[in-house]
Amino acid sequence: MDLVDQIKATNAYGCLECGKCTAVCPVSLFSQRYSPRSMLTKTIRNEFDSLYIDYDLWSCLTCRRCDAVCPANIDYSTLTQIVRSSAQDSGFHGKCSHAGAMELLQKTMTTKDLKQNRLDWVTNDLQIADTGEILYYVGCAPYFDVFFTDLDIATLDAAKSSVKILNKLGITPVLMSDERCCGHDLLWNGDVENFKMLAEKNIESVENTGAKTILFSCAECMSAFMNLYPEHGFKVKPKLMHMSQFLAEKLSNDELNLKESNTDITFQDPCRLGRHMGIYDEPRQVLKHNDGEHFHEMMQHDKKSLCCGVSAWMNCDITSKGIQKERLKQAKETGAEILAVACPKCHIHLTCTMKDKFVEDNYHMDIRDISTVVLERME
Amino acid sequence: MGTSDNTFRNFIRKHEKTVSFSDKPDIQYPIGIVEPSPCMEACPAGVNVKAYVSLIAAGKFHEALHVVRERNPLPGICGRVCTHPCETYCNRNQIDAPVAIRALKRFVADYELEHPIPKPQKTAGTREEKIAIIGSGPAGLTAAHDLAKSGFNVTIFEELSEPGGMLIAGIPSYRMPRDILKIEIDYIRNLGVKIITNKKISGKQDYNKLLKGYDAIYLAIGAHIGKKLGIPGEDDYEGFLDAVTFLREVNLGKPQKPGEKIIVIGGGNSAIDAARTALRLGSEVNIVYRRTRQEMPAEKEEINEAEKEGIKIHYLAAPAKIIGENNKVTGLECTKMKLGKPDESGRARPIAIKDSEFIIEADVIIPAISQEPDLSFLPKDHNIDISRWNTFTANENTMATNIPGIFAGGDAVTGPNTVIDAIAQGHVAAKSIERFINGEALEQTDSRTKPIETEIKIDLKNRPKTKRADIPMQKISERKNSFQEVEYGFDEATAIAEAQRCLRCGPCDECYICVSDCHKGLSVIHSKNGQDDYVLRLPPDFQSNNLADGNLHGILKSANGKDMPIELDSYIPVVKEELCRGCGDCVTVCEYDACQLIQKDGEIFVSQIDSDLCRGCGTCVTFCPSSAIQPSRYTSDWLSFKLKKIDPKKRNIVVFSCNWNGADFEKINTSKYKNINFIFIQTMCTGRIESTFILRALEEGADGILIVGCSADECHYEFGAKRFAETYAKVQQLAHMLGYDKYRIEYKTVSGKNTDKFVELVNNYTRKFK
Ligand SMILES: Cc1cc2nc3c(=O)[nH]c(=O)nc-3n(C[C@H](O)[C@H](O)[C@H](O)COP(=O)(O)OP(=O)(O)OC[C@H]3O[C@@H](n4cnc5c(N)ncnc54)[C@H](O)[C@@H]3O)c2cc1C
Ligand code: SF4
Ligand code: SF4
Ligand code: SF4
Ligand code: SF4
Repeated sequence: MDLVDQIKATNAYGCLECGKCTAVCPVSLFSQRYSPRSMLTKTIRNEFDSLYIDYDLWSCLTCRRCDAVCPANIDYSTLTQIVRSSAQDSGFHGKCSHAGAMELLQKTMTTKDLKQNRLDWVTNDLQIADTGEILYYVGCAPYFDVFFTDLDIATLDAAKSSVKILNKLGITPVLMSDERCCGHDLLWNGDVENFKMLAEKNIESVENTGAKTILFSCAECMSAFMNLYPEHGFKVKPKLMHMSQFLAEKLSNDELNLKESNTDITFQDPCRLGRHMGIYDEPRQVLKHNDGEHFHEMMQHDKKSLCCGVSAWMNCDITSKGIQKERLKQAKETGAEILAVACPKCHIHLTCTMKDKFVEDNYHMDIRDISTVVLERME
Repeated sequence: MGTSDNTFRNFIRKHEKTVSFSDKPDIQYPIGIVEPSPCMEACPAGVNVKAYVSLIAAGKFHEALHVVRERNPLPGICGRVCTHPCETYCNRNQIDAPVAIRALKRFVADYELEHPIPKPQKTAGTREEKIAIIGSGPAGLTAAHDLAKSGFNVTIFEELSEPGGMLIAGIPSYRMPRDILKIEIDYIRNLGVKIITNKKISGKQDYNKLLKGYDAIYLAIGAHIGKKLGIPGEDDYEGFLDAVTFLREVNLGKPQKPGEKIIVIGGGNSAIDAARTALRLGSEVNIVYRRTRQEMPAEKEEINEAEKEGIKIHYLAAPAKIIGENNKVTGLECTKMKLGKPDESGRARPIAIKDSEFIIEADVIIPAISQEPDLSFLPKDHNIDISRWNTFTANENTMATNIPGIFAGGDAVTGPNTVIDAIAQGHVAAKSIERFINGEALEQTDSRTKPIETEIKIDLKNRPKTKRADIPMQKISERKNSFQEVEYGFDEATAIAEAQRCLRCGPCDECYICVSDCHKGLSVIHSKNGQDDYVLRLPPDFQSNNLADGNLHGILKSANGKDMPIELDSYIPVVKEELCRGCGDCVTVCEYDACQLIQKDGEIFVSQIDSDLCRGCGTCVTFCPSSAIQPSRYTSDWLSFKLKKIDPKKRNIVVFSCNWNGADFEKINTSKYKNINFIFIQTMCTGRIESTFILRALEEGADGILIVGCSADECHYEFGAKRFAETYAKVQQLAHMLGYDKYRIEYKTVSGKNTDKFVELVNNYTRKFK
């Protein structure tokens, strides 16, 4: 498909110039420059030369906040991805934070005969298997935790808790030692080629395990399997479930029971989980289970939820920090002690701003993955 | 675009001189010449004020003192009593008030007392020739200092019991503490200068001995004879004491109250000093001066202090007649004056007002109008040209008298003048004496006795006003009967803040730190007199398309044919504001305080790098999470350029090294390793090596990666190596997870500049790949 056709497929030419997108865009809220509407206008006017060198081409979080309100049904996030990939084809790249370390790790994982040691974190008390019906897809948490040592962050807790819960439920999940990055970030940055290599390798590995269901703690990995792989011609056969969905199912089947907790809690909807995959209710069912009164919604939640401010490690700047501070403020205002997350990226980005020396103490919260919260409340 | 880059470009533009690269005649590059700042121009001794003020601002106090000493061997003394023409010419005058340069000089001199550095070694005696200097004032001491440094045997003859000239005999101890004087004179003695006190050179015998026994003579005898008033009654009564004699008695003999009520006549420093000294000894003191306060030659600070201490100054009053009784002075009759047209000295001429006489009572009168040299020590047939003011006539560019081998300088040539002028002339005389002994022409000396109008035009508009630091002083009540020093020094914080007021007029701070710091000798282009023609030459392997190469440097060829390597761009990184998160990580990383968060608007803070404080290690670039800090070198493009040389047909070893551990890639015998392709990548500091540098190299096909840095406690940038250790720990874990064998990344450190060790490390590592 050539570029114009791809653009057409996003409905971009139907733009009514109503500006609703810009009105709701979190980036526009904190950046005086950025406007999805004007980026869109430039795109349909074929002003690619100026778009490719525009810093803000890489500012969009592809959070689908605008897509949700667009009266013309335009898929702006995908449009952004398309323009980015044509920019990459022409040799233009955005500015990756952390000196591009994450992007580099992702690309390195496309290497053919890679022999990773990515399951070193699995301790003896965790039962895992090489083949089986239920597969737990870990994601890049082992890498994140090393790279973000300074943030003192443990995104792997989500995986550890998930495996523990599964074990308690009598399930020995498959963990793949040759799991690779899902490619989510590469694709959204426009690197379609490397994304496809990763997709292919991952699907092959999954098939080798014989899994019928794949569980995810990372909303991005899941959205890659659920949306991006099929969109790019890769068939995903197993059933896909986010841990929150899995847990909600077990709770409603009474296979699992949770203690009441006296801790107030709120929930950060990951844009991938919510607007990208429409999963809003299950995490709430889990968190409210047997303890509805301690659950509090933030000012913006569900469809209107505010994203964590950085996507695909691009343009982490003062605008990102503004969004993150706002989100932390909203979380704090619920009176909750715990901010439950369902995506390691939300976990990292919000923690980074929370630990920023120049952010006041009153933004501090206990940020935890939903599985970790559940494990603690399990009887 | 960074400020430093801008400055460099502007400076090139301003001085537009086109030069060509000798091996690439088709490429023309403009290159420029650095002009001195007004302060430096104003300083008779040519002290590089801007340089040392900048160094103070950067907290480098010893280095600052070193810069002062290059042109002024008496920093603690000048830091107290210099008349500071530099401040008069300081560009800050046009904004608020000049930088307190003198007090800053004092601060660094005092700093050394508390934080001593090794005393200089003896340098005199490496040459045979002997030089005699008469007089141990600043003129004599400076010449002795310079000559001893050049290796000559120098002997100073001093008539008084202590060395120092007017510094000890004239200037009172409440302004010039004697221990400071002693320390600075000892510093010069340490170089091997002999000072013989209590030895007046007098008469034919002494003089001939000097002529015979020495290769050159320097007359630095000062001006110690007080001039007469020339009014009726002067020779008729007892109760006269000229200021210089009075002060010498107090300073070197017995301090005695000169009288109950005294009058000092004159308006110069010696008048004020005599008055304040008499006051401290218990007298009631009046000063009589012909013109107004504005015309008074004494330092304004001194006049202020004198008045504060309780001295009455009668302005526009001229002594007319001495009044006496029984052979003794009882008072002075004065005439009231008004100011008329300026006289030849440029000062308004005082005109007497008719019938305005009045009398001030006194038992002692101290004239302090002027002094002249005491030439009576010379034999009659000395033949040295003497001026009509009874001073030596010397060529102002060489300080040579008409007699070959005899030089003169200081007050003995100029008449009563200043310490810094005496120092300046001491330098000139020393240079000439050296040339004389070497048989070279004398007339090439770099004498700069008068301030010249400078051409540096910097934009003074919109510069924020800042307050000049007040110099802390002893309380007035504590000064009674006390000869304790009145002024105190700045503390560190004040000194740094005051130094930061400096506008750094001109393109570079001329601190020379780059020259002494950079072991490759890449230095900044420099020429003070603008006469040298500079040719910029790039190294032979230079290709215009490898501008991304961090090692771009040139070689400067001056008119005298000397090669001087230069650095074209600064290493100072720049923060790209749109990317900065204002997280302050860089502030934490940079222990030179070069990164600072500045408020942009509202809650938005962005980092800014102070190009004066930054030393270009690049560590902040590595640690900025937003990749907001843009390095001018060692970019990822540069890395890609380097990694392009990876050869898939061979085994590739990438060696990273910092700039300071003596790493020299040319010393590695690469031909020994047939199947190995080496890629050497050098950054300023290992702190600049990002985890991505290493992971990228692996990804692009490097078989092995060796990083050679300095040990953390020897890191040139103090914190760079420490930070790299963090990076390395991370990279190791990440690489392990990605499945790379451990041996593929190795990190080693070298202690000191040790090329052999570096070579050994590379060889050892390479052996693993054979
Ligand atoms: C009271 C007073 C206050 C001053 N205050 C300041 C001030 O605040 N700032 C400032 O910049 N300047 C000041 N000056 C001026 C400054 O001190 C002189 O300009 C400076 O010291 C001149 O240095 P010199 O080396 O030429 O001579 P001097 O310092 O006068 O030294 C000459 C030396 O030669 C010796 N000598 C002379 N004849 C013989 C001989 N035949 N044999 C052996 N030795 C001999 C003398 O004893 C003397 O020690 C002041 C001067 C006075 C008098
Ligand atoms: S996808 Fe999200 S970040 Fe991007 S333009 Fe839409 S609302 Fe803004
Ligand atoms: S501002 Fe600084 S550089 Fe400029 S004249 Fe004053 S002291 Fe010298
Ligand atoms: S580390 Fe980077 S993002 Fe953080 S304040 Fe410094 S320049 Fe800005
Ligand atoms: S860390 Fe190094 S490069 Fe960065 S501002 Fe400080 S001295 Fe300059």
